[in-house]
Amino acid sequence: MKNQSYNTMLISVAGLILLLAVFPITVLAQGKQAPAASEEGKALYDDKCAHCHGIEGAGDGSAAENLLPRPRDFTRGLYKIRSTESAQLPTDQDLFDIISNGMPGSSMPAWSELLSEDQRWQLVAHIKTFYDGFEGASPRLIDVSGKVPYSEESVAQGKEFYTNLGCVDCHGVVGRGDGTSAPDLTDEWGFRTWPANLWEQWNYRGGSTTEDIFKRFIGGIAGSPMPSFISSFRLGLTDEESARMNELELKMDNDGLSEAEEEEYAELEEKLFMFEDIMLKVEEGEELEPDEQTKLDTALKPIFEKSWHLANYVKSLGPEERPQAAVGDKVLRSQYRAGALPGMNDEAWNEIEETSYFPLVGQIVIDPRQFNPSIDSVMAKSFYNDNEIAFRFTWDDRTKTLPQTDDETGETVEDALAIQFPVKISEGPTDPKPYFIYGDRNRPVYLWSWKVAEPTTVTEMTAKGINTATVQSDQSPIQAEGVYKDGQYQLWIKRSLTTDDKRNDVQFTPGVFIPIAFSAWDGSNGEVKTKRAISTWYTFVLDPVPSNKRFVYPPLIALISVGLLFGLRNSVRRRQNT
Amino acid sequence: MQKLSLFTKCLIIFVVLWLFLRFFIGGVWSVPLPVSVISMYLGLILLAILVHVSVEDDRFREFLRPIKETLADDNRRTRCTVLFVLIPLVMLGLTFSEMSTKADPPAALRTAHPAPPDELTYREKVIGPTQQVENPFRHLEKDDKEAFKAHVENGRRVYYQNCFYCHGDDLDGEGHFAHGFNPPPANFQDPGIIPNFQESFFFWRISKGGPGLPPAATPWDSAMPVWEDHLTEEEIWDVILFLSEYTGYRPRTFGEAAH
Repeated sequence: MKNQSYNTMLISVAGLILLLAVFPITVLAQGKQAPAASEEGKALYDDKCAHCHGIEGAGDGSAAENLLPRPRDFTRGLYKIRSTESAQLPTDQDLFDIISNGMPGSSMPAWSELLSEDQRWQLVAHIKTFYDGFEGASPRLIDVSGKVPYSEESVAQGKEFYTNLGCVDCHGVVGRGDGTSAPDLTDEWGFRTWPANLWEQWNYRGGSTTEDIFKRFIGGIAGSPMPSFISSFRLGLTDEESARMNELELKMDNDGLSEAEEEEYAELEEKLFMFEDIMLKVEEGEELEPDEQTKLDTALKPIFEKSWHLANYVKSLGPEERPQAAVGDKVLRSQYRAGALPGMNDEAWNEIEETSYFPLVGQIVIDPRQFNPSIDSVMAKSFYNDNEIAFRFTWDDRTKTLPQTDDETGETVEDALAIQFPVKISEGPTDPKPYFIYGDRNRPVYLWSWKVAEPTTVTEMTAKGINTATVQSDQSPIQAEGVYKDGQYQLWIKRSLTTDDKRNDVQFTPGVFIPIAFSAWDGSNGEVKTKRAISTWYTFVLDPVPSNKRFVYPPLIALISVGLLFGLRNSVRRRQNT
Repeated sequence: MQKLSLFTKCLIIFVVLWLFLRFFIGGVWSVPLPVSVISMYLGLILLAILVHVSVEDDRFREFLRPIKETLADDNRRTRCTVLFVLIPLVMLGLTFSEMSTKADPPAALRTAHPAPPDELTYREKVIGPTQQVENPFRHLEKDDKEAFKAHVENGRRVYYQNCFYCHGDDLDGEGHFAHGFNPPPANFQDPGIIPNFQESFFFWRISKGGPGLPPAATPWDSAMPVWEDHLTEEEIWDVILFLSEYTGYRPRTFGEAAH
């Protein structure tokens, strides 16, 4: 009896171990599978998803028109964020993850809080009904087992590939999405699309872990101009052979090849063709012969390794989280400096470690509105001395746009920035401030207007409402210098703390918190006048120089407390003695 | 174990309460508590402790005993010396840091949900007394289900073409523009929002937007547009129906408000 139960236990333990061993392979490989499509799934989809993605899943809901990136059209089976290889469908788990986590930087929110797990799986099942290809599909997963750990060397190698592999064409030299082809990119559906600003990891649609980034390289981002990396290589050739082939092709076009060279070229071509057969089989989903599989693995190995280095490089570019806005502890503090204020490229700016971050969003209060601004923030540092104040503003813009006519509206558009202060600084939190967009009739704002066509000019303006900005007749002397480099504008401005025109200009007083707000225009995004990116009111302060009295009073107080303590002791002793 | 003296007990109580005020309320609960308020509470606590120890002569003597011993007893010389160095140093440090701290940004004080005006208007047109105006399409919920559904669907369209950039795809106030605004957009999934106000209140807030707020609610900071410039009267009522249908929360009605 005893023995029997022991055996039963042994068997069940063994069974459990076996189950646990098999489970990760079968389940974790593809993740969980969606249930069968159901009426509940459709009802849920119609209520939560259809206003963007459309009742029929064609990405044409009533909200779609004002969104960029556009809501996904599910009818073509093209999914951006996948754990599967290029030209493959996503796994059910991929779809579930996107619904649960949302797509940062787009209008797709994370649904994990509002919808239960079951509900999200029902949605996966319903979304799959929009595309027939899902039936019986078993997409191949990207192998992430060869991960190269993060290191300085790996980042350096990744940087080299970044430059050599053509990433710069779209993503720009340092990765701000400002490459030469960036302005002309469209997706499969013909909609405008921007290459990612790689410095803003919080906007990576599919997450920002090194594995996430790696998967985008290997799988590509379907429907967008981002290709799978594998397509940029001549599979079947080594790096040297590939380079040699380029060399020969160049020579062929210019001087022609010698007989020996022609033979060499034919050999290389033969290797390529052999590989094309393998790739064709892969695309058709056919089984590979063992030696073909070995060949494929050998050819892919260096590409995967490069991709890991590249992923490490991209990872090294910026912080994962959006910087905190310039409020509370992060408020912009202009630092006091005795003597001359630093110029545009002065080392002194590095003394201020943290740049204050001002998020911008579309102006959607007054028509014409901007639902898809391309400038998402302005950053600032500031110094002041006894007479003057200097600011250095930076903001990312994928294109430098000098004045030009916008194709759609016929308006003249150009890149510009306006920095806004109230003319009169309010006394307390409930003392009225001007309206945050260009003030109002009773409370005007004072503006510094800068435009890319005149990079060394800042114009003083007064506004009493969004469409009423007028150039001041009395311009105070303001020095300015604006430069565009690698997808980023940098604008340096210097003005005296006080001006003669006290009725129209803001006066900067140390220790007083002064409201500040921004408007930014990206000409290439058709932005002009009210169509722009804006911020609400923030505040900044000219950090007062701490008083020298702090070296006098504290020691004095310490001395007094010593005296008091001794007095107390003596009086206690005297009393005890009597 | 040695029994704690009354003085030590009082000291522990004081320190624990200070830590509670400073780090628990300010940190864990994240209620912003200005330093001046904390010092006021601490003053009261100190006063309470002193009253407690001094009501009886014996207790007061017991309280003072360790202090006297430290000051006068020759066996406690080391402790006395340490305190005589430490206390002035702490005072020095405190006053120095107090005099060198930077100016704090002004606190943002605002009334989140101000009282609506007595009269509800759309553009220049008077609709009626705010307390009594009801959603003109609400009755369809009982009278004509199909027509009601059409109004909700229209409200849905209005919401996703105008509101969701800030108020969120799932109405939680976390739309993709929300991070750029302070005060933050209203979260309709919060059970404290929809059930607490009448539909006419929402009509007022939607139609007049930020600029329609009274000064106590800092209208110059609110990014809420004046929607009567963009939407029809019916569209505003429809979107209110949608808010309530989507979240499952029912706005307060006039009858309830009167109770």
